[in-house]
Amino acid sequence: MSGTFLVIDDSRLHHQMYQLIFRRSELAGSTLLHAYNGQEGYDLFRAHPELRLVCLDLNMPVMNGLEFLERRRAEGLHLHIPVVLVTTESTAEDEQRGLEAGAWGYLCKPFQPEQLIALVERASRLSQHVSQP
Amino acid sequence: MSQAEHPFAALLAEYVAECLPLAEDVAERVVALERGWRDGTDTGDLARPLKGTLHTIKGNSAMMGLVGLQTLAHRLEDLWGALLGDQPGRDAGVGLLVRGAGLLADLVRATATAPPADDVAAAFIEEVDAYLAAEAGAREPAREERRSPDRRATDRRQTRAVGEIGADGAVTTIRVESQRLDALLETFGEVMIAQAGLRDAIRQRGRRSGGDPAQLERAMLGLDRTLKRLEQDLMETRLLPISTVFTRFTRLVRDLAHGEGKEVRLEVAGGETRLDKTVIDRLGEPLVHLLTNAVIHGIETPDERTARGKPAEATITLRAVQRSDRVILTVTDDGRGLDPDAILRKARALGHAPAHESPSRAEIFALAFLPGLSTRDTVSHLSGRGVGLDVVASSIRALSGNVAVGSEPGRGTTFSLRLPLTVAVLRALLVEVGTERYAVPLADVAETVRVAPGMLHQVVRQGMMTWRGEVIPVLDGGRLLGGTASGARACCVVLRSAGERHRGLLVDALLGHQEVVVKALDPALGRPPAVAAATILGDGRVACILDSGRVADGWIEPVATLAS
Repeated sequence: MSGTFLVIDDSRLHHQMYQLIFRRSELAGSTLLHAYNGQEGYDLFRAHPELRLVCLDLNMPVMNGLEFLERRRAEGLHLHIPVVLVTTESTAEDEQRGLEAGAWGYLCKPFQPEQLIALVERASRLSQHVSQP
Repeated sequence: MSQAEHPFAALLAEYVAECLPLAEDVAERVVALERGWRDGTDTGDLARPLKGTLHTIKGNSAMMGLVGLQTLAHRLEDLWGALLGDQPGRDAGVGLLVRGAGLLADLVRATATAPPADDVAAAFIEEVDAYLAAEAGAREPAREERRSPDRRATDRRQTRAVGEIGADGAVTTIRVESQRLDALLETFGEVMIAQAGLRDAIRQRGRRSGGDPAQLERAMLGLDRTLKRLEQDLMETRLLPISTVFTRFTRLVRDLAHGEGKEVRLEVAGGETRLDKTVIDRLGEPLVHLLTNAVIHGIETPDERTARGKPAEATITLRAVQRSDRVILTVTDDGRGLDPDAILRKARALGHAPAHESPSRAEIFALAFLPGLSTRDTVSHLSGRGVGLDVVASSIRALSGNVAVGSEPGRGTTFSLRLPLTVAVLRALLVEVGTERYAVPLADVAETVRVAPGMLHQVVRQGMMTWRGEVIPVLDGGRLLGGTASGARACCVVLRSAGERHRGLLVDALLGHQEVVVKALDPALGRPPAVAAATILGDGRVACILDSGRVADGWIEPVATLAS
């Protein structure tokens, strides 16, 4: 289930948490790319069409999660890469806006490592499905 | 789930490193907001980031499984939302917010040592809930007023807690700018080049006997210089902005002033000045002392101030500036000032009379730092100066710094602390021999052993002990260090030495290990055997730092005198 993943979050703490999760046996051998704001994340996203999944924080400086998604949709960039929006206590309204802007999934803080792994599993089944019709 | 088995338990230090500055920022902002709302000034810029910051702290705490902190941050978000409209009874809510933000910062700081319990803020949260419920329903300002005397008591308790956390809430993680690391790596590269040069020079010498001695000398000098630079660069990575310690004081001063019924504003300048991590860790306590003294004893009540033609609100200024390799910290208040006559009287009574009849004011103020002089019942009611200036002076001296005070009666007082930018520190094991304490560099300690009867033997006037299958010589700490030998020491510190045999040093007690600031011995003392340097401990006592190398390399003759 390994591959390349992108984490976009302005919290160093969260990057370390993702590292801990991606070091686990199910995901061992994965490459993790790190970006600390939406703009940095977008540049990495553009440069890596092979990404298996993106974890995108909602509240960030420079470019927030929704702006990231809206720009990606407008440019039609790498629409095959699933982007998971990560939020603290979002309202149904937020979720709706996120999904409309093209988020593939939602992860609500606090989440357990297993929840993220389950999302990665789902995403990789999806990509197998897409690449081997 | 307990913290130990939490998936992210390993990230606690990173959590504190990220959330503490956020929580301190919130605490500072709400104090400024309280003032701004009271004075009717524009607080938009202060208020804007609050919600987002609280939200981030809540999210991070939740991810870490720190339920108590998560709940507290959440309730503060709610409270903040409720306070945004300018409704009657808001003052009580603002007071609650200031206390809560302080509590949040304290709890985040304490998490570095031990994660708080889930219900740690339960009592406070109950108060917030009660306030929010009252706000939502019929407003009951009378109830809030009835409660206020209790609140003042709580405020004071919290203030005390701040000081305690300030004392041991040491910073354990340092973030280093990547440019500094680059500079370090670059210097390290130069060390490698210098080492290569030295190796060449040595090889040349080996090949043609005689060689060029100057070449070797030059290479050696080059290496020395680069290593010094490397040391300097490394020391610089230990520098932290002094704002890490300043930020907690805004609230301290506010809480103290409230408790005393005074109006005090704390102004802070130079927070970006950088100082060694060790100095910063140990600066909290003396500064808490000075600020507490200023608020409680230095500053007059608003009525008194108005009567003297001063503004009712007093100002305390905390300022840091760097001057070459020193940082000067000043604590200035515009209170009643020191009374030189009272200090002189008290000094004479204690037998610390100055050498000549008419000492200058500066000479008199210097006496205030003597032990016993600045106690509450003697000087304070006369001159407005409280407890423990000698404690402040000794903790600053322990950091190789010094303190001075200047004062204009009726106008105010200024304390100046001169501190070194960096200090040499060492992790050491503190041991007790007789009544003396010694510091043994931790890197030289192989093991500590409790001495059991029959463990020690005497072989040709030399004490011996079997340790891990090796027979090692044992020295009595008392004899070695110039005291008296004793046959009954309880512990043995096994010292390691490069390639050599181990040696045991008998001591009376092990007192634990800590970072000590190394102070060179005055060359006039010569070099006492087995002592490398000295340090000043937290309680102001001097401890010698042992030169383990000289102990282990067999400098010593003194034979352990052992009871059979």
